[in-house]
Amino acid sequence: MSEKELGQKWDRCLADGVIKLGTGLGLGIVFSVVFFKRRTWPITLGSGMGLGMAYANCQTDLRLHYLVPKKQWLIHSNHI
Amino acid sequence: MAAKIFPVIKLATKVTLAGGALYVAHDSGLLGTSKQGFEALERARAAIPPAMEEWMKYFGLEAQLPAVPKVEFSPVQAWNSGVRTSISALSEAPRKASEYSTRGLQYVKDLAK
Repeated sequence: MSEKELGQKWDRCLADGVIKLGTGLGLGIVFSVVFFKRRTWPITLGSGMGLGMAYANCQTDLRLHYLVPKKQWLIHSNHI
Repeated sequence: MAAKIFPVIKLATKVTLAGGALYVAHDSGLLGTSKQGFEALERARAAIPPAMEEWMKYFGLEAQLPAVPKVEFSPVQAWNSGVRTSISALSEAPRKASEYSTRGLQYVKDLAK
């Protein structure tokens, strides 16, 4: 992976983190106001879920470069 | 009759609101992959300034509020420049410390003469 590509992936990770945190926070606020009598825990849960989703996306994105497609692996190991 | 229906309507309204918020978030790509999230952010950044101008015109505020100056500031460039400066200062620190202490000693010696 080139440095430029890695830099772009990190930029996407950070932007995605901000988006998912904001979305989780917003949805948490909506659910807290509508269903849970303005308690704090839905907001915390929503923000946490957003951050977790962003982390998982970032992890997948960074690992994608090193994953070998199945067909290529089978050809390489002479199974095909 | 109305007393029995009202809680149902209230619940239906709440479910519609919450479900609608969730649907809008999912539909605009906010809950998708990092690429979709990045694209959603770029769309929002492109859409906000014209929307702000439109709202200011609608409320007749454009004459009252001063124009926002366009600041040429990039957080990424500022961060990178900060990292370079710090690391360069750290690498120069031993040599500079030795030089300044030599100069300081020389100055004190000159004073003592």
